[in-house]
Amino acid sequence: MKKLTTFALLFALATGMAWAQNEKYTRAMSDGINALMAIDRSKPDPKALQEIGNRFERIAAAEPKEWLPKYYAAYTNALLGLTGATLTEKDQYLDKANALLKEAETIAGKPNDELEVLKAYHAQIHLAADPMNRWQTDGEKFQGFLQSAKSLNADNPRIYYLEASSAFFTPDEYGGGKKVAKPMLEKAQQKFAAFKPATTIHPDWGKMETEWMLSQTN
Amino acid sequence: MKFFYCLLLIIPAAALAQKNIQGKVTDQRGNALPGANVFLKGTYDGGTTDANGVFAFQTSESDTATVVASYVGFEVFENKINLKESIPAMSIRLDELANELNTVVITAGAFEASDEKRMALLKPLDIVTTAGAAADITGAMQFLPGAQRVGEQEGLFVRGGSGQETKIVIDGMIVQNPFFSSLPDVQSRGRFNPFMFKGTSFSTGGYSAQYGQALSSVLLLNTTDKISNNGLGISLNLANAGLNYDYAHKNQSVSAVVYYGNLRPLFKLVKQNVEWIHAPEFKGSSLTYRWKPTKNGVLKVYGMYSDSHLSMNSNDPSSDTGKMRLVLKNNNAFTTSTYTDSWADGRWTLNSGISYSRNKDNMTWDGVHFDRFDERTQARVVLTRLLSGNNTILFGAEAHAINIGNGVDGKMYRLKDRYTAAFVESEIYITRALAGRIGVRSEYSSVIGRANAAPRLSFAYKTGRYSQVSLAAGQFYQNPDYRYLYLNKSLKYERADHLIVNYQIIKNQRTFRVETFYKNYAQLVREFTGQKYDADPYRFPWGATNNSGDGYARGFDFFWRDQKSVKNLDYWVTYSFVDSKRLFQQFEQSATPTFISNHNISLITKKWFEKARTNLSATYAFTSGRPYYNPNNDEFLKDRTPAVHHVSIQASKLQSIKGNLVIFYATVDNILNTRNVFTYRYTPDGRTRYAVGPQSYRSFFAGMQIMLSKKAKVGKDDF
Repeated sequence: MKKLTTFALLFALATGMAWAQNEKYTRAMSDGINALMAIDRSKPDPKALQEIGNRFERIAAAEPKEWLPKYYAAYTNALLGLTGATLTEKDQYLDKANALLKEAETIAGKPNDELEVLKAYHAQIHLAADPMNRWQTDGEKFQGFLQSAKSLNADNPRIYYLEASSAFFTPDEYGGGKKVAKPMLEKAQQKFAAFKPATTIHPDWGKMETEWMLSQTN
Repeated sequence: MKFFYCLLLIIPAAALAQKNIQGKVTDQRGNALPGANVFLKGTYDGGTTDANGVFAFQTSESDTATVVASYVGFEVFENKINLKESIPAMSIRLDELANELNTVVITAGAFEASDEKRMALLKPLDIVTTAGAAADITGAMQFLPGAQRVGEQEGLFVRGGSGQETKIVIDGMIVQNPFFSSLPDVQSRGRFNPFMFKGTSFSTGGYSAQYGQALSSVLLLNTTDKISNNGLGISLNLANAGLNYDYAHKNQSVSAVVYYGNLRPLFKLVKQNVEWIHAPEFKGSSLTYRWKPTKNGVLKVYGMYSDSHLSMNSNDPSSDTGKMRLVLKNNNAFTTSTYTDSWADGRWTLNSGISYSRNKDNMTWDGVHFDRFDERTQARVVLTRLLSGNNTILFGAEAHAINIGNGVDGKMYRLKDRYTAAFVESEIYITRALAGRIGVRSEYSSVIGRANAAPRLSFAYKTGRYSQVSLAAGQFYQNPDYRYLYLNKSLKYERADHLIVNYQIIKNQRTFRVETFYKNYAQLVREFTGQKYDADPYRFPWGATNNSGDGYARGFDFFWRDQKSVKNLDYWVTYSFVDSKRLFQQFEQSATPTFISNHNISLITKKWFEKARTNLSATYAFTSGRPYYNPNNDEFLKDRTPAVHHVSIQASKLQSIKGNLVIFYATVDNILNTRNVFTYRYTPDGRTRYAVGPQSYRSFFAGMQIMLSKKAKVGKDDF
């Protein structure tokens, strides 16, 4: 009987610790995600982004079996690729984001629509860093990643958000513009309305930006 | 039981025993690195450095731990610490990772246009947007430092070298007929569309052991791995109409091109100096297939076929009428398949390919038939091994089977060459600032039954964050011109020795580059006819020949490009100086050959008008006078032609018409209508001379490219 109690206690303790660990992970992730979502998208503060990116990297290093910390670290570094002062600096962050994305893919083990979407977003930011010389290669990559994301999960709203944002920021003369973007944004809006992330820490960004762009098309 | 309660009590107690970890992160020079990530491995405990590089965080770990510090662009730092003892403030110095700014690149002799390498001095699109280049790759290369412009012949004349001393290489494969068939005193265009290529490297000497059979220069062209637009495109201009179709599916893509061209409408509008009987008419097609079978593997198959027909009355000083009627029909086919792959995280890279080309010219000169035929089959394999510290070593081999025929009135004279080469080359980084490349190439040519071994050497040293000096030297062999080999197969290889020193600084979208060179020519073929010099460039060399010729070329060139000072304005200036003399061909004494111009200057400007979506480009080119043969002058090749001035402008405009993108372009070549003279030829009695000039003086050209695809994305550089 005593043995059994000991065993039960041990078990309770072990699961309790595991649960505590899991909760710690979720809490740390949620904190990071909340901080990330609180960042002003119109002029992101690179220092704050860097701090958040570092947080996700620390979680990633401590949780080698989770792809989400790598995903968010890559996402943050991609955003840093937007704010960098020089092309070299932007590329350093983008290279890092790319390496993190690759690691996330290895951990995820199978094709993942969110990672494909992020790869497309990465290509878009990489293009924006040096559009004159990159539109050709990156434009094609962008389309390719979105296509593969669609084939994995056609209901991922971020696919339509990125497609729409690409059209939104392309001048009319180049076949883009707000007019062209509007129906795409509406589609993205519908997809966002129907979307529910798998957990609270799964990717759930882009809705805000979609709403903002939509407000600009009227 | 009690034990467990104790345990439960101890855990929060341990958690409360927080330790402070603090310190500073800097680079090797002691500069603070703000934003660095410092943490304990395997825990969530860590912090980010502030503006002074200072970090501080707390941990509840109580045993030993590993401190990790990471910062973008730097190597990750790890260090074990013991948390049982008190921890003093840490001072962490990070090593910078190798990047384009702190690592030297071997550049002497090479002028690169690439999207991928930031050290490249040009972008591939610069080639098509240069006025005066007529969207021709070699046309654009003529404006680069080291090149001399020779208006009446095709080919790249580099640093005192003739057009035959430059080889054009596509994906490692030598292109047997890079230009449309040569015509008397008319410069032929290149056969390849500049949009096919993602990168161009123009070597003006001292090039890698991977390439051979070129005394002066190699022009390396790399085809694109992917297509940019899915869909149908139409191109229409004053000379031709074409269709192109691109389709990509997952890891495969196909591009197809068909075109028909006829220069008659253009020649009706632009006055011609050449008397055309049948304006050039040509048709052709190409097909490209690309497949990515594995993660890094790329298979590319490219095939093209074209035929052309033309007829002209060319100037012939030696005939009674002064004219000679030429009819030319050409068939040309070129196929190449390459496979590249890499394994073991890029430690091994394979580049391989096979190619076949076939060219047939059926010519009639005043009713007499002359036929030219050549075919070349080649295979090539290069294996590169990446060693530690960015060092590489590569091994490669190539084999060519070349068959050449020259027919006179139905009788065919044939020549066969089986050429093989093997090479090994290593790139060594002694430090990040000092690198060397050492290679050797060995060749065997069956037609002359001889082998050679040519060493190649380059060094580069980084003198500052944005500047570097480099040096290149080497020996370069080339088979004698095949025309000599019909009569004499005991000739040796011709040889050139190069020495090049280069300095360049690239900073803030401004580039300055200066290069100086010395080139020694040896074993050049000399011909002894026992008669006086015959200046006819189309004569067949029937005299006795040997390799007793020699020569030199020396000079310098500089390049300045500024994309920064004025918004949306990009300009570059090139100046090349060369001094050269040779004893070769029928020369009885050493003299400056006719293709040499001592001074070449070009000024290229491009301005982008955002509102009008128009790109305007203007080019001024100056070429100093070249020697020509005057039979009445006792001094051999002492006369000089007048200098050549050339001003061209080009405009391209982008427009969206019903959702389809259209690019309009128009150019005016030689806008000042300068009566340029390239050379003079004399009648046999030496009394009358003919000026050889361009095919037309002021000329214009216009056209458009339509992309029937709503998905197509076009940026300002897609001209």
